[in-house]
Amino acid sequence: MKINIELMGALVDYLPASEKGQSVLTLNDESTIADLLNHLKIKRRVSVAVNGDEEKGLEHVLSDGDDVLIFTVISGG
Amino acid sequence: MSYGYTGKILHVNLTTSEIKVEEPDEQFYRTYMGGSAMGMYYVLKETPAGAEALSPENVLALCTGVVTGTPISGQSRLTSVAKSPLTGCIGDAQGGGYFPAEMKFSGFDAVILKGKSPKPVYLWMHHGEAELKDAAHLWGMTTGDAEDKLKEELEDKRIEVLQIGPAGENLVRFAALISMSNRANGRTGMGAVMGSKNLKAVVVRGKQKPSIADPEKFKELQKLAKTNLEPTGMDSFGKYGTPEVTSPQNKSGGLPTYNFNSGTFDKHEEINGITLYNEHLRGHEKDEQNRFGRDTCFSCSIKCKRVSQIDEGPFKTDAKYGGPEYETLATFGSYCGISNMDAIIHANALCNMYGMDTISCGATISWAMECWAEGKITAEDTGGIELEYGSAEAMVKMTEMIAIQEGFGKILAEGSQKASEIIGRGTEDYLITSKGQEAPAHMPQVKRSLSVIYAANPFGADHESSEHDPAYKAYPERMEQIGLTNPQERLALNEEIMRFAMVTQHLSSAVDSLSVCAFIFGASFQLYDADNLVEVVNAVTGWDTDMTEILAVGERRLNMLRAFNSREGIGRESDTLPKKMFKRPLEGGRSDGYVLDEKEWEAALEDYYRLCDWNVETGHPSLNKLESLGLGWVVAENQALSQVVS
Repeated sequence: MKINIELMGALVDYLPASEKGQSVLTLNDESTIADLLNHLKIKRRVSVAVNGDEEKGLEHVLSDGDDVLIFTVISGG
Repeated sequence: MSYGYTGKILHVNLTTSEIKVEEPDEQFYRTYMGGSAMGMYYVLKETPAGAEALSPENVLALCTGVVTGTPISGQSRLTSVAKSPLTGCIGDAQGGGYFPAEMKFSGFDAVILKGKSPKPVYLWMHHGEAELKDAAHLWGMTTGDAEDKLKEELEDKRIEVLQIGPAGENLVRFAALISMSNRANGRTGMGAVMGSKNLKAVVVRGKQKPSIADPEKFKELQKLAKTNLEPTGMDSFGKYGTPEVTSPQNKSGGLPTYNFNSGTFDKHEEINGITLYNEHLRGHEKDEQNRFGRDTCFSCSIKCKRVSQIDEGPFKTDAKYGGPEYETLATFGSYCGISNMDAIIHANALCNMYGMDTISCGATISWAMECWAEGKITAEDTGGIELEYGSAEAMVKMTEMIAIQEGFGKILAEGSQKASEIIGRGTEDYLITSKGQEAPAHMPQVKRSLSVIYAANPFGADHESSEHDPAYKAYPERMEQIGLTNPQERLALNEEIMRFAMVTQHLSSAVDSLSVCAFIFGASFQLYDADNLVEVVNAVTGWDTDMTEILAVGERRLNMLRAFNSREGIGRESDTLPKKMFKRPLEGGRSDGYVLDEKEWEAALEDYYRLCDWNVETGHPSLNKLESLGLGWVVAENQALSQVVS
């Protein structure tokens, strides 16, 4: 299945620079958020929103065509 | 033998030139721990009620914490406390770099400054001694020039300098204290307080490293920095700095734009942290920005500071003046509708050169731009400068004019609230201030707990006084360490969110009293968590504190700030938010239509007061709360306070 991902902030570094934090990935059907993060080699704590709904857990099962936003919660500055 | 702290507090009377050293006992250090709480102790003891902020009577306390100067990330911070000339309430500002550690090495934990010198002077604290020296030749110098001159005349390149620039000398109400020419105790106008005392700088140098009670445990905690680096993502935070949050803020509808009228800026990518790193940091032309475009504080492995350099053109910038943080990118950028990164870098440098708070400066200019857009301010007021949204030239010009109090800059140097009182014509409708301090770049319409924190915080709107709403859900294990176990839905504004606000405010207050870095120690994204903070304090000092005690130090500090305001007769009536946040829905992006409900907000404010044990009608802390925190003496010694607390 194909998943549209967008990585926010410093997470852009998990994709090639040319992609500027956005990509379409092909994953096995029934892949979870955990599988997706594994695929991207993201080990740090992140928050994930799927199709605009925030805070999906690692066990959430993705569907073909999902829009997935991966971000970190940092404040201050 | 004292561990962590030197045991010496320097007292300087600038009127008489008298310098004394006080040696408080261990219990004093354990009660206040340094920084903001320690500073408040002296302010409440020695500043008379009703003292004017720019008068000799206003005591300015500069305090490190009990762990400052130990070789671990995030400990080199110093807090400045005094009555604020911007708000008329208590003022409080933290800064980092190398000065705080060096002040500890010079042999003193804090310096308490009162009076006013008859002539410009600087304070030279070195190797356990202190003296006042003539500063007439430094007065009027920019921070970079003054620091160079001091290094030359003291014949030591390794001195550290905390100084005011011309803006502080000119009493710009949001003037800052600057060290290294690029680190700032930015907010609430502490630079103007120092300027009003004819004190140009505090210069420090020494070799007295603090002793550590449990070196083995301390070593373990040092090693944890490496272990935690990747899992916390603090390696990326170091690489891109605070500017990394710019586009994520925009995505969530929370990047203040057009003076807080929108939470979305269409040109956010041009002013975000990735663009800053790739295209503007020093060394980027040769892909060497990782080496030449980043800087750090004493003993901190994160290296999150920015260094930018512009070699030519109207926005030419010397690298010694650092590089913009997120707040600065927002206040000179999206607040003003400006996407010219070079202009923002240059404005940031001007603020560091002249010594001004980038947040209040940028936000005062954005307020003026909204007034211009609404036809309330014209070329007649500005002397011909077209203060249009998006005009980088006007923004930079105005920044310069504010620093030297020239033309319209003289009015804006009062801060936007006082400027609106001077101009009238309904300009107060566009203010984004709480207690007269301009709102920083986190929007209460999006992060609802801030709607009460900004309003009720004793020193005005502030974004580093508590954790922000998304952190509650995002970091459950860390929140549990401070007793928060019930995360709420986004945009909730209820009693639990108020509990979250208050408890994280207590932790922030402890962080600002221990005077450690809020990006290194905290209950969310930080390198070390709150439990680690307790461990660091114990390993350094040999004490057996726990989370309850550390949070109590924070609560004590918050109540001391609040008591100062109460003593001045300032209570609930000043706990307000900008009118537009209740009246004008945000435009565009994810926060399109967001507006705060006044009744819901008032109910939350009253929940917050109840949780704090402050009187719901007056906003003053209860006598019971003050006494339970060991602050009965504040009431006993201040008649004006005893009249309003019960």
